[in-house]
Amino acid sequence: MLIRIIIDLLIAVGLVFACAGTKGIIKMPDPFSRMQASTCISTLGVLGVATGGVLYAAVVMHSASAAIKIAVIALLIMVTNPVGSHAIAKGAYSHGYRPEKKMETDDLGRDFDE
Amino acid sequence: MTDLLIFAIFFALLALLCVYRLVKGPTAADRMIAGDNADILLCCAMILFSLFSGRGVYLDIALICGLFGIIDTIAVGRYLDKKGRFNNADSDHH
Amino acid sequence: MQKTKFSAVLATFIVCFVFWVLLDFSFKVEELIAGAVVALLVALFTSRFFIRENAGWFFNPSRFFALIRFWCVTFVGELIKANLNMARICFGGCKDINPGIVKIPTEMKSDYGLGALSNSITLTPGTITMEVTEEDGQNYLYVHWIDVKETDPEKAGEAIKGTLEKGLRRVWQ
Repeated sequence: MLIRIIIDLLIAVGLVFACAGTKGIIKMPDPFSRMQASTCISTLGVLGVATGGVLYAAVVMHSASAAIKIAVIALLIMVTNPVGSHAIAKGAYSHGYRPEKKMETDDLGRDFDE
Repeated sequence: MTDLLIFAIFFALLALLCVYRLVKGPTAADRMIAGDNADILLCCAMILFSLFSGRGVYLDIALICGLFGIIDTIAVGRYLDKKGRFNNADSDHH
Repeated sequence: MQKTKFSAVLATFIVCFVFWVLLDFSFKVEELIAGAVVALLVALFTSRFFIRENAGWFFNPSRFFALIRFWCVTFVGELIKANLNMARICFGGCKDINPGIVKIPTEMKSDYGLGALSNSITLTPGTITMEVTEEDGQNYLYVHWIDVKETDPEKAGEAIKGTLEKGLRRVWQ
């Protein structure tokens, strides 16, 4: 019974961080800040769900293959997500999207836009 | 047992909230971010539903869902990058 | 287009085969042989795209375990700290943000080091690597930072990647 409570707590932690990321995606003012908020979902959101799922599959269901598959899914998402995030940030910047409010410092614009 | 189903429904609702930004978002980058994260949230919901129903096939769907979300994000990012550089070079030339 | 090296093929083959075994998870002989053939074909044709430098660190146990230790201890600590900060900003109404792009110098030289460092920076919420450039033999990263506290490059670099770079310097140069 104790292991069920631990699993529920882990998934609830993941859900809390996923809620934070989703609220950030909806409320943040410019594309780059939305990207920052969305990183919450793909790190601790996925990690919480995957840890809870691995524990559930291994301890409650006694299925090693499901546990390993969940771990591989979480690993692949966490390895590939920064690549997509990097590509879309660079693409959005060089396509000319700028936030409405002036940024604190803009070294990339200073060095490349002339 | 039902607690996993409830968590899965919550994750699917969060993915629906991301669809709001996907429809409304002013720029293409916003839409892509929202789509990517809806993919990842659906992947989490799929994992939980697979554990609830005890069928392994949902895990394969979650894997494919998570990986293909990255591929279209990278494709759109590269497209925006190349298009932006092309436009900038063009305007400098004239 | 560079030539295909044996160590690169071996490293790619091992990674592909391990993923096949983990995803399939049945230990019949014919399935293992099929996996080995597919992994060998994939490694022969694609290793030159994945591995550009010497892949010897993959077979060195001390560096490999230093990488595992970095992921499991240092990186997870930084990740939880940054995630709590980001969740506080998001639940607080997304108001107290101060975004900006800073340019920070880095000591990393190799491709693996730069890739791992910039991916780690991107994976911590609050910072995204946008561009990597080289000037006079020194590599620079352009980082979008959601809460700019320092505009001086050295101090900003220490605040963004201090512990991450120290952990990664044990694995790559």
